[in-house]
Formats: sequence, structure tokens, C-alpha cells
Amino acid sequence: MNTPSIVWQPDPARAAASQLARFQQFVEARHGLRFSTWAEFHRDSVVSFRRFWSDFLEWSAVRRAGSAEPVCDGDTIERARFFPALRLSYTGTVLDGGGQPDAAVAIVECHEAETPTAALQVREVTRGELRRDVARIAQALEAQGIGPGDRVVALAAHDADTIAVALAATGLGATWSSCGPELANEAVLARFGPLEPAAFVVTGQYRSGGVRHDLLARAREVAAALPTLRLTLVTGAAADAAVTRDAAQWPHHLVALAQLMAGTEAVTRDWTLLPFNQPLFLLFSSGTTGAPKAIVHGAGGTLLEHLKEHRLHGDLGPGDRLYYQTTCGWMMWHWTLSGLATGAAIVTYDGSVATPDASALWRLAARTGVTVLGASPAFWQYTRDSAVSPRTLGTTQLRALASTGSMLDDHWYDWARREVGEIPLMSISGGTDIIGCFVLGNPTLPVYRGESQCVSLALDVRALADPAGGPDELVCGTPFPSRPLGLLHDHDGSRFHEAYFAAHPGLWTHGDFIELTARGTARILGRADAVLKVKGVRIGPAEITGIARRLPEVRDAMAVEQRHADSPGGSRIVLLVVLQDGVALDRALVHRIKRAIRDGASADHVPAVVAAIPELPTTLNGKLSERAAREALAGQVPVNRAAIRNPEVLDLIRALPEASRDHPA
Amino acid sequence: MPNSDAELRRLIIDWLDDQYHFGDAEQLIRDDEQSFLETGVLTSLGFVQLVLFLEQRLAITLDRAALTRENFDGMGRVLRHLRAHLGPASA
Repeated sequence: MNTPSIVWQPDPARAAASQLARFQQFVEARHGLRFSTWAEFHRDSVVSFRRFWSDFLEWSAVRRAGSAEPVCDGDTIERARFFPALRLSYTGTVLDGGGQPDAAVAIVECHEAETPTAALQVREVTRGELRRDVARIAQALEAQGIGPGDRVVALAAHDADTIAVALAATGLGATWSSCGPELANEAVLARFGPLEPAAFVVTGQYRSGGVRHDLLARAREVAAALPTLRLTLVTGAAADAAVTRDAAQWPHHLVALAQLMAGTEAVTRDWTLLPFNQPLFLLFSSGTTGAPKAIVHGAGGTLLEHLKEHRLHGDLGPGDRLYYQTTCGWMMWHWTLSGLATGAAIVTYDGSVATPDASALWRLAARTGVTVLGASPAFWQYTRDSAVSPRTLGTTQLRALASTGSMLDDHWYDWARREVGEIPLMSISGGTDIIGCFVLGNPTLPVYRGESQCVSLALDVRALADPAGGPDELVCGTPFPSRPLGLLHDHDGSRFHEAYFAAHPGLWTHGDFIELTARGTARILGRADAVLKVKGVRIGPAEITGIARRLPEVRDAMAVEQRHADSPGGSRIVLLVVLQDGVALDRALVHRIKRAIRDGASADHVPAVVAAIPELPTTLNGKLSERAAREALAGQVPVNRAAIRNPEVLDLIRALPEASRDHPA
Repeated sequence: MPNSDAELRRLIIDWLDDQYHFGDAEQLIRDDEQSFLETGVLTSLGFVQLVLFLEQRLAITLDRAALTRENFDGMGRVLRHLRAHLGPASA
């Protein structure tokens, strides 16, 4: 393959002054080494990963206690434990921000305007205010009996209150898990139910698309179905009034954040140093079958990985303002939160990217001084299709764009350069499973059109060849600290093993296809498994098919992602259904299926296309083959066609007119 | 090719149903002057999708600078804007 053109080159002086360059110098001086290229430095970080993480811990000056030895207990990815004798505080490190003064801005909180002609609502929260608020909330939660081992769940907007409560809860040693308001109650309960949470955090109201939504009213159903809850905490504007309205009908103690904090003292807190592998976040990864699996991420692993990504790969630090378009149900919310630990400020937004118009987010970026803006290809597409030219909107302070959530096609690099500016477009990719990235940016390297700049430091990312001739599969060959502690309620680790290690023993199998170049760059080529990534949202097909199968007309269903240039983000969901005998797929039934999925999961889960086929493609072993269906929908002859029991179905799928790649979105 | 106001209205209703409302669009649009945005029929994000759909379906090009509430926030407004592009309805 020809070398693609370079679309951005780092300024040599800035590259030399980057945190990555300074860290490399630190390693060289500490160990008497000399790396003449990035490739050499990266290779060393993989081969000597224990030394790398020890060095990084030292360089990043995270406040800690205990011993940094052993760095990693165990040699297999599946069993290794990093820093088992070390203690630190995620919350303390995030609040400290590398010693940022109290007067420094920590959060720039934005809310969608009340009317289309009104101004964006912006509030700045300083480090000092955030430190005091988090300390007071922690004090109050502690008084309510919340502590280590408890789980605090949230159905919340992306705002400063949610961040403060999350930091307070995790600072006490509780584990935090959050969903965004876009998720329907059924899907929220599928996630929170197994967690047996002690406390529930709800944003009373949020705005989106010009409409104010009463989230607390809907949260009552969730609270009633979680019998272990002792407390529901309501945040945001009008929380007091909402609590007054609902307290009598609430199944347990309902309190507004301001009321909860009223009885506390305005103190700062010396955050307890907790074990490195203290459970910190519970994230969800939906698979092809069953309920979403709850992934347990540890405090130290999350913190070190995020610090590494932000500081070394993103060069994020004091003076930066980071905004990532996310809800608090996606790992990019956690990733953004950790950005505070670098000394940067983070920008939050509760609202729609499209309100009052398509320039909303870019104007927000200009108004709040965002320096690093992240979104998904669906958002770039929306901006382009709306003929919005960000460079005309005063976004001159932007120094980098980050893109994740879907494959980033080559032409977006040209668009970004033309319409945003001469700044790097960093294609970053990883996932919920590792709460981080396998490929990402690099302040010392050029950006090649269509490619991620590099592979993440200390991660032995490999492209495993497919003997059948398909694309290479992304695997990782060395232990890494942000490997999950495990899956919730998976006491013998068998589900964890099956999810990540069964396909290729000894290697972390991530589920993405990847191309690695000789230049050290990478391209993510989509999912190797059945997980859907549409419009920047990761969706487990089981959440869609489970709802579809409940309709009496539907005997079986399979949800597959299809590349489709005209759809937001360049792909869409096709739902293949097998109907009961005598049932025809008319528009009314298509609408019933779509409505059920929207009401049971979210609007993001709704398939763009519903098509009927006589049976689903299955392997000779009787397993459903989403991969074969996906390749057929792409117009290809499936790589594993010989292993398909009913290959004639693949021909039918390939010929479906409604699923044609030329068919309108 | 849809051309009359009734055909264009049906085209838009069907699209709204297929994309967002799954059979409820007709009921949601009580009159032609009702704001799509303020009554939850369509978001600004949806406006862009609607424009792309209409361009593809009607083989026309709509000026993105004209993607305003005045031209798209309501059935009557969309129909009037389309009529300006398509010319008088054929008999």
C-alpha cells in the first residue's frame, strides 16, 4: 500500500517541549539509555513494561504510599496484578491536578440555552470550589453510611454536579457506575440491577433538543426496582423542588444535593490512599447474548492509563480545556474526568449538539476556550452536512481534535484541515473493556491521512493474521494496568476468560480489526465481533435482538452493523428478522419493532433497516454468525462461508434491496 | 417523483415515521404551522437528515445556508421551501 500523505506535522519546538519528549528524557537519564526514534522508545516500553510503568509512576508524581514493588505480579495478561502493594487516591489525584492552585478553573459547565435565541448557560467551577464541594459531599455520603465496597449508580447529565458526586463516592472507596439520560429505564435496570447499589444519583432535570426533561419522574421506576438502595440523591437545578414534590412517594430516602451538603462543614479533605486495585468504575459492555456485562475497573490502572494517554499521547496539561462529546454512560466521560488530573480544565455540556443549530458545539468550544475537542465521525458528518465551517466560528484556540467511536475515513482528515484548521486530527480507539486506547495521538509524530499516529505506549498491540484471509485482528501481548479487575459476579473468572482470552490463549483479544503499518501507525478497520458501533455509540446487539424477539411476530433476530456512507458516522444497524409462519413484514410491523427498541433501549439502538429473511446464518456448529451476515451486507463473499450451514441465506442477505448500500439512509 | 403538496407531505410523514416516530408522525403534526422543533417532531440534527433525504429523493440540491427554522421548522414551511425549488405542482 502506498504511503498516505502527511496532513499535519508537529512544530519541532513544541514536539521537543512536549510531555512525551520530557518523559523520554527522564527515562533515558534514569537508566542511561538513548532512544533515537519513537519506534525504539515504544519497543522498549513494551519489552520492559514493568520498568515503563515504574518510571511513569515516578515521573507523574502521583501521591502514593506503600511499595511500588512489585510493579506487576504475574506474567500473564489474564492474571497479572499491577502494584499490589501500592496505595493511591484517584479522587485526590484528579482534584490535585498536579498541584493546580485553588483559583484555577477546573470545570466549565455548559447547559443548553433555555430558548433558541438565548445564550448558552456557562458556569466556571474553580479547583478550590470543586475540592470543597467534593469534600463536603463525601462527608455527607459518609454520614449516610456510604463507603468502601458500596456501589453508587447514577442516571445523570454530563455536568459539574455529577462529576463532584462521582469523585466524592470514589474518594470514599465506593464504586461508581453511570448511565446517560438517553437510555430507557429497561436498559438502565439491566445495568444497575446486578450491581445491588447502595445509592442512586439522579439529575433532576436536563435539557436536550430545546426540551426540558424531568428525569426524576422517570427515575422513580428505576429506584423502585433496586431494593438495595438506601438513598437517592438529586442534583442539578430545581433539585430541591423536585425532592419536595416526590419525597412522599419515593421508596427510600430522597434528598437534594444542596440539602445533603447543608449539614456539612466547608473543609478540604486529605483523601485516604486506597489500594491500587480498589474497584473504581463499573462499565458495561453488551455482547451478542445475555444482559450487558459489568466490567470492573480499578482505581490505579484507570488513573495511570489515563494519565499516560492524556499527558504523553495528548500532551494535555495546565492551560488546556478538554471537551469530549459524550454522556456519562460512555467511557469517554471517565476519560474526560481523568483529564483533570493533568491540570487541564474540562468542559461539560448538558444539551444537544444540534440546538439551537448545527454550530452549537463549535460555538460552545469557541466561547469556553476548548483546546482539545473530541467527538465521533457522526458529529463531523453532521457538521459537514450542515455546511458549518468551524474555523469561521472563532475556534482559534483549538490545538487538536480527537475522533473515536467509529472508523474514521480518510476524507475526514481533509475536511478537518480545511474546515477546522491546521491542527492534528487524532484517531483514537480502544474501548470500555480497557477504559482506554490501543491506538491514539502523539505530539512528536506527523499525522498521516486516514491513520492513528501510533500505538499506545507499553501496550504490545499486534495485528494477528487471519488464516482464512480476513483482516488482521487486534490483540495485545503484554499485561497492562487498565486491564479490568474482572467481570462482576464472575467468581471463577470463566466469563472474563471467555470474553477476552479464549479466542487466542495468552493474548488479550479486543474484538477489533486492525492494520499496523511499518511506520508504526495504525488503522482500525471495524469490529471483529458482533458488537455494533454506530453514531459513536457502542451497542450490544443482544439489547436489540432481545427486545425484537419479544414481539409475537418475531421468531428470531440478528442485529448487524453495515458500512453505509450516507448514514451518520458512516454506518447503520440492520436488523434481520425471522418471522413466525404466515407473518409478513409490512411497514406497521417495522414500526412496531422500531418503537419497541426505542422504548426499551434508546433511540441510538433503533435499526435503520429491518429486513425479513427465512433463517439466520448459522455455523456448522449451530452458532449464529453475525460476521457472515455483516460480510454479506457489505456485498462480500464471507470469509467463513464454507463453515456456514445455510450459505444460501447469505446470498439472500446480499440481495436485500432495503439493505443495499445504495439504499437511502 | 412526488410533486404535489399532498405527495410531498406523505413523503415527509413516511420519512418521519421510518426515522423517528414509527407510525405516530401523522398524529404528532396537528397543523402545518406547528413548529417541528418545539413540539419534538424533529431536532436540528433531524433537519439535516431531512434535507439530505429530500435532496436524494427529489433529485434537487438545497442550499445549506437556507437550512433555517424559517424554511424547515414545520410542515408548511418545508412544503413552501420545496415548492420554491420544484416550481408549481404538475397537474
